[in-house]
Amino acid sequence: MPSSPTPNVDDEIVPPPKVNKWDGSAVKNSLDDAVRDILIKKLGFDENFNLVDGRLGICSIAVAIAMLALLWDYLYPFPQSRPVLLLCVSAYFVMMGVLTLYTAYMEKGIFAVAVYKDPAGNEPQTWEASSYMKRFDDMYTLSLSCFKGKNATEKTVQFEKSVACFFDTEGNLLLDLLEPEVLKLHNNLTSGKKDK
Amino acid sequence: MDSLFEDLRRMNKRQFLYQVLSFGMIVSSALMIWKGLMVVTGSESPIVVVLSGSMEPAFHRGDLLFLTNYEQDPIRVGEIVVFKVEGRDIPIVHRVLKLHERSNGTVKFLTKGDNNSVDDRGLYAPGQLWLTKKDIVGRARGLLPYVGMVTIYMNEYPKVKYALLAGLAGYVLIHRE
Repeated sequence: MPSSPTPNVDDEIVPPPKVNKWDGSAVKNSLDDAVRDILIKKLGFDENFNLVDGRLGICSIAVAIAMLALLWDYLYPFPQSRPVLLLCVSAYFVMMGVLTLYTAYMEKGIFAVAVYKDPAGNEPQTWEASSYMKRFDDMYTLSLSCFKGKNATEKTVQFEKSVACFFDTEGNLLLDLLEPEVLKLHNNLTSGKKDK
Repeated sequence: MDSLFEDLRRMNKRQFLYQVLSFGMIVSSALMIWKGLMVVTGSESPIVVVLSGSMEPAFHRGDLLFLTNYEQDPIRVGEIVVFKVEGRDIPIVHRVLKLHERSNGTVKFLTKGDNNSVDDRGLYAPGQLWLTKKDIVGRARGLLPYVGMVTIYMNEYPKVKYALLAGLAGYVLIHRE
């Protein structure tokens, strides 16, 4: 498939694959991916991976602890390895607790964080997109937040629509229907700021 | 099947790393639970499957046994213990028949299966007449009937075991969230 040699703001968004329209999590993932694409490729924001990296880091530490326990027990068979095993098992379950807290309080359904560097030289704005969809429900809530710097007041707008608004009967995601909704939220936030 | 690979192809590096880590976490959780049980019970193999009918009618082939191996609880005659003969991996579940104890704490055991007609000397290593503390894996404390049959089948037909594990691994690696 031919691709443009130089990346530019209006990079062609790859059409999303067909999903099983009855599979709630696949549908939500498909919508989230498309929204991320719109923010990064259409609007030209830079994606910030800190949130995802944090989760990857916690998981890596947990797996490393488990591997350490395995290795130690292999080298020093059971009763000698008891104290190290006790330490590793406790540490592992602590990391699981940390991961749960992290996912619940820091991530909160946020699936994309992007930074917009104003060419006019103003402070870079941080945009966060988060979504929520109840199990077995068809209502998809997309929230878009924008704030400048750290600890600045953030503005949030959201829309709640049935996923049926964006998918056809085959399970294809219709970007033409999703894009205007997302851009509307974006414009809402940017124009709202100018009012102040 | 195709849609599964579609999902995989569309993942970027971070997504893929997360899938691999998710798989790692599942394996690690199982591992940590097992090691945790080892630490709590003091036994190197806290759950064993009864492999033969030598302890009928108390235990049948395929029963799952829960063991503990506490230092403070001395093993007495009449108790059911699980032991491993040196050089062989298979744990054997039998009852303690005779016991010799020294004042310094060293103990020697002789075991016999309830359903066997002779004691276990034929099973011990050549030249070995008694079991020592280090041969004992633990004492039987709890029982779940029939559940161990799954393990016995999977060990008799290893292809089933590998196919199942491969299928599970594939599913976790490819399916998102």
